[in-house]
Amino acid sequence: MKIKNGFVVREIAGECVVVALGEVSKIFNGIIKLNDTAKIIWNMLSEGSDRESVIEAILQSYEVERETVERDVDCFIETLKGANILE
Amino acid sequence: MFFIKMADMVIEIHHRYNYVKWLCKDYIVPDGTTPDLSVRVSREDIEAEIKASQTEVSAGYAEGICLYRAICKQLPMRFQSYLMHCAVIEYEGKGYAFAAKSGTGKSTHIFLWQKRFGDKVHIVNGDKPILRFLEDGRLYAYGTPWCGKEGFNENTSVPLHAICFIERSPINTIHSIKADEAVMRIFHQLLSPEDIQTVDALFPLLDRTLREIPCYVLGCNISEEAAEVAYYGMNPSIE
Repeated sequence: MKIKNGFVVREIAGECVVVALGEVSKIFNGIIKLNDTAKIIWNMLSEGSDRESVIEAILQSYEVERETVERDVDCFIETLKGANILE
Repeated sequence: MFFIKMADMVIEIHHRYNYVKWLCKDYIVPDGTTPDLSVRVSREDIEAEIKASQTEVSAGYAEGICLYRAICKQLPMRFQSYLMHCAVIEYEGKGYAFAAKSGTGKSTHIFLWQKRFGDKVHIVNGDKPILRFLEDGRLYAYGTPWCGKEGFNENTSVPLHAICFIERSPINTIHSIKADEAVMRIFHQLLSPEDIQTVDALFPLLDRTLREIPCYVLGCNISEEAAEVAYYGMNPSIE
């Protein structure tokens, strides 16, 4: 699972944001704000990680039940798919 | 070709139609002034703008829009500045920027300020001011020829005191917002960056803006009280 090329991650006033440049800006015209968990998911998906690796990484960083993590990760992935952000 | 001074920059404008020179009449400076920036747009740009426009516009009008866009795209990289879609007023030496979706009532709200606080309220730019960090470290908002259909602008600048996002509401309330909310709201009022150079120039300016300028959300109706609530909300040290 990979995020399309052209998305740029930056920080503004302590907030992690993502914008689309180039080709992808034609399908995504806005800004995404990532909280700490979302940052982990985004960075891993940018490198083409699979769902299981993402879930593992979050379980290692936070003391949360697997069920919750799976639900949150799946929800995030669905949102990205819906916005046409994933390849 | 003609020269203007706008936002403390001298700009050389190569134009095809007379409209833009008329639009810039209050900003023109003598020919041959050394420009900080030079712009021209192609016939293709103008045609694309006409096509993309929601309403029927003349080639001259479209050329004006394209020229302003061409100028504003260079602002972050070269002039520590950027375009923001908002209405800026000056009162008591302070600049207040009001941002909202089109049609929400920015103009109405600034008229209410004039009604409530009188003719010492000046409209610096009714629609598309340039914001610029000057050497004194402050963020200034500028009048420009591109200021909305009513033409509200003064060829002047004012240090920005606050940014206020307006929403319609039955009662008048105001609260301050932090960077997490402000960054999302402000982004919709800017020219979307098209390349990484612009991102790397613009985002630090936004970072500075959000760290230095307090941001508020105002829910308001069309009574004079809306202006009072806004004014006192953005000036907590005034009783």
